[in-house]
Amino acid sequence: MTAITLDSISRDYGSGLYGVRDVSLTIDEGEFMVLLGPSGCGKSTTLRMIAGLEEITAGRIRIGARDVTELPPRDRNVAVVFQSYALYPHMSVRENMRFGMKMRGTPVAEQDRRIAEAASILGLEPYLDRKPGALSGGQRQRVALGRAMVREPDVFLMDEPLSNLDAKLRGEMRQELVKLHRRLGKTMVFVTHDHVEAMTMGDRICIMRDGHIEQVGPPLEVYANPANTFVAQFLASPAMNLIPASLAGDATRLTLKAGPISGDLPPAQAALYTKAAQEPAILGLRAEDVLSEPTASTLPVAGKVIVREALGAENLIGIETAEGIALSARTGRDFLPAFGDQVTLHADMARMHLFRASDGKAWSRQG
Amino acid sequence: MTRPVLSHLGLILACLVVLLPILWVLRTSLVPEHASYAKEIFPSITLDNYQALFADKNFGRNYLNSLIVAVLSVVLTMPLAAMTGYAFARFRTGGRLARFATLASQMLPPVALALPVFMLYRVTGLTNSLTGIVLVYSAINLPFLTWILMGFFESIPEDLEGAAMTDGATRWGAFWRVVLPVAAPGIMAAAVLGFILSWNEFLFALILGGSKTATVPVALAALQTSNGVQISQVSAGVSLAILPLLIAVRFIQKYLVQGLSFGSVK
Ligand SMILES: Nc1ncnc2c1ncn2[C@@H]1O[C@H](COP(=O)(O)OP(=O)(O)O)[C@@H](O)[C@H]1O
Ligand SMILES: [Mg+2]
Repeated sequence: MTAITLDSISRDYGSGLYGVRDVSLTIDEGEFMVLLGPSGCGKSTTLRMIAGLEEITAGRIRIGARDVTELPPRDRNVAVVFQSYALYPHMSVRENMRFGMKMRGTPVAEQDRRIAEAASILGLEPYLDRKPGALSGGQRQRVALGRAMVREPDVFLMDEPLSNLDAKLRGEMRQELVKLHRRLGKTMVFVTHDHVEAMTMGDRICIMRDGHIEQVGPPLEVYANPANTFVAQFLASPAMNLIPASLAGDATRLTLKAGPISGDLPPAQAALYTKAAQEPAILGLRAEDVLSEPTASTLPVAGKVIVREALGAENLIGIETAEGIALSARTGRDFLPAFGDQVTLHADMARMHLFRASDGKAWSRQG
Repeated sequence: MTRPVLSHLGLILACLVVLLPILWVLRTSLVPEHASYAKEIFPSITLDNYQALFADKNFGRNYLNSLIVAVLSVVLTMPLAAMTGYAFARFRTGGRLARFATLASQMLPPVALALPVFMLYRVTGLTNSLTGIVLVYSAINLPFLTWILMGFFESIPEDLEGAAMTDGATRWGAFWRVVLPVAAPGIMAAAVLGFILSWNEFLFALILGGSKTATVPVALAALQTSNGVQISQVSAGVSLAILPLLIAVRFIQKYLVQGLSFGSVK
């Protein structure tokens, strides 16, 4: 049915300002693709370009077999769920859903059938005759979704649809949306700045910064192999620990010196990072790879406790070393030192990441 | 406790400042001419002044003229102003220059335009005709209403049109089916403002019109003759002139408030 191909698309605002610059991406048929990135990185612009709501100043967009670059939004057969929901305030919920079908000349009986079906899936039956102004945020969000569903579009485009909901509802809707995607099997592009949404919902995620793509891949793959320090930090909370580092030695014995952490790397890492010995590097350690107990592959790091968040299921511990380097650790719930305590944590080098200091690129991805 | 009392006193005073002259006009319209300047409030009550106005002065005709030019100029202007305002709000149509010109036209003293328009009308034969007055009022209303409506349209989220257009509407369809209904309070408010402006206009009606086309303000001014001012008839006329304004504002009050806050609050 409907893959989406972005071929070097740009949105040039003139005088050197770009919303999106030279972005190429293929979204497979039926895929749930998440566009992830900080505010202002061009996610919405990209989405709006796919929808036809934003001018494409360079490049081509194809939806399915059709080149839609020059087509107006109404001819692209895409449905958009806006961050603001953009419900028609003067129409009832029912009329909101009917509008798109009416525009497309769907027979009235079929309109009614689809509205009833969507309302039942989304639990909107009691509200069909209300105006959007008389609905809660969560209900409005569902109406926006229902309005997109009844159209039976080729592609769903969603711009941070969950960001206006409270935390509990957001969690529920995350699962609802994944279910809906499995049920409809339609291509979906989902924009968010929330890495948890990206990790849990996407078949693949596309991480953007400053109008370009940093990395594309399945969530766990990107999490395991971030292409650079930006991706490494953005895709987790707390962000990955980054410490300036240098390496010395060869494949048989590679020694790391990264601030307070120093010692020999495990053999696998030594083999992987031998080439990095020539230049300044950055050591990356995820919080869950900083342990409270030593193992065969750990190196010790001591410091004073400056962050202490007991989350129930786990604890977030932040220490500051004598060199003034901050390090965060995600530990089991039994390890809970007091503020100011001097503790020794253990960095698991078998799970280390290494980036080139000059451009922040991951060494493991440079062959 | 004293604060509300004090502020209410202040408000009552302010209301009186505004209302007293109007109430006095109403009172004068209801007493005989000779008692106009009397000290008593109501020495005797009469409708003679109104009667005279309609019977001797053909005031009914003036009233109808005023209604015609005010309503027609608004009806003629609103669609144009709505489309221009929308274009200004959403596109770069006309650039800065068009926006500046729209605003600048409001700063020009009407007198500066009166003479050129009069000369144009002499050539085209539009003097002494209601058509001529309707046209010039429309021309005056257009930039004003455009500017007001531009503000209303700017306050409507663009995503609403985005939704309509992905839902299958053309740009025009999105404007017609979504933007206009949503902007209805603002449009109503603008229409009332346009009506009031035209209803009160004096200068162009005087210069471009004749006795046949005289509107209420022109007719009232004519009551100030070299033989003196017929103050009771003027008062009766003014009382009648206020009437549609009261009705319009009363009828539209909720739209006006809703509409005026629409642009600012978002
Ligand atoms: N009309 C405009 N003129 C200039 N820059 C713009 C304009 N609209 C958006 N931008 C810029 O484009 C960039 C991308 O915006 P957007 O796609 O909305 O970001 P996101 O959705 O990722 O937060 C932002 O840096 C924004 O400042
Ligand atoms: Mg955005």
